[in-house]
Amino acid sequence: MNKTMPPEFYQLLEEIQAVDFVLVELTLYLDTHPDDYEAIQQFNHYAKQSKTLKKQYEKSYGPLKQYGASYSTYPWSWDDTPWPWQV
Amino acid sequence: MYTQTKYYYPYHSPFDPCKPIKVKSYETPPNLYMGFQPPSLPQFQPREALYHGTLWPALFSPYPGKREVVDNE
Repeated sequence: MNKTMPPEFYQLLEEIQAVDFVLVELTLYLDTHPDDYEAIQQFNHYAKQSKTLKKQYEKSYGPLKQYGASYSTYPWSWDDTPWPWQV
Repeated sequence: MYTQTKYYYPYHSPFDPCKPIKVKSYETPPNLYMGFQPPSLPQFQPREALYHGTLWPALFSPYPGKREVVDNE
C-alpha cells in the first residue's frame, strides 16, 4: 500500500500557504506604502507566525527548503515523496 | 459604484456568414477605480484571502471563467 499523508499534513500546508500569501500581499502593499506602521506591524506578526508554522511542519514532515535553509532529518529525506507537485 | 464587468454589442453585418456574437464583455476590476490604495482598508482572514486572491475585499474581482455569454435579442 503506497504512502499516504495524514490530514494534518494538508491542513498545516494550507495554513502555511495562507500566511505566506498574506505576506506576499503585505510586501507588495508596503512597497508603495513604506511608512504605514500598522501594516508593518502586521507584516512582522505574520512573518513570525510563518516561521513557527514552518518549524512545526519541518519537525514532523521533513525539510521545506534545501542547501541549509532547513534542518535535515535522519536519514536524509528531502528527496522522498511527496514532491511538491505530488502533494 | 462601478460594475466589475462591462458589455458591448458588436455590429453584425447581414452578409456575415458566421454566427453573430451579439454581446461581448470585458472585466473592469476595482483597482482601475481605486488609484492610490488608502491605508488600513478592511482585510480578509488569511485563508479567505488565499481563496479570493487578494487581502482586501475592496480589491477583489471575481473574474468569472467561461460562462455562457448573455445572448439576448
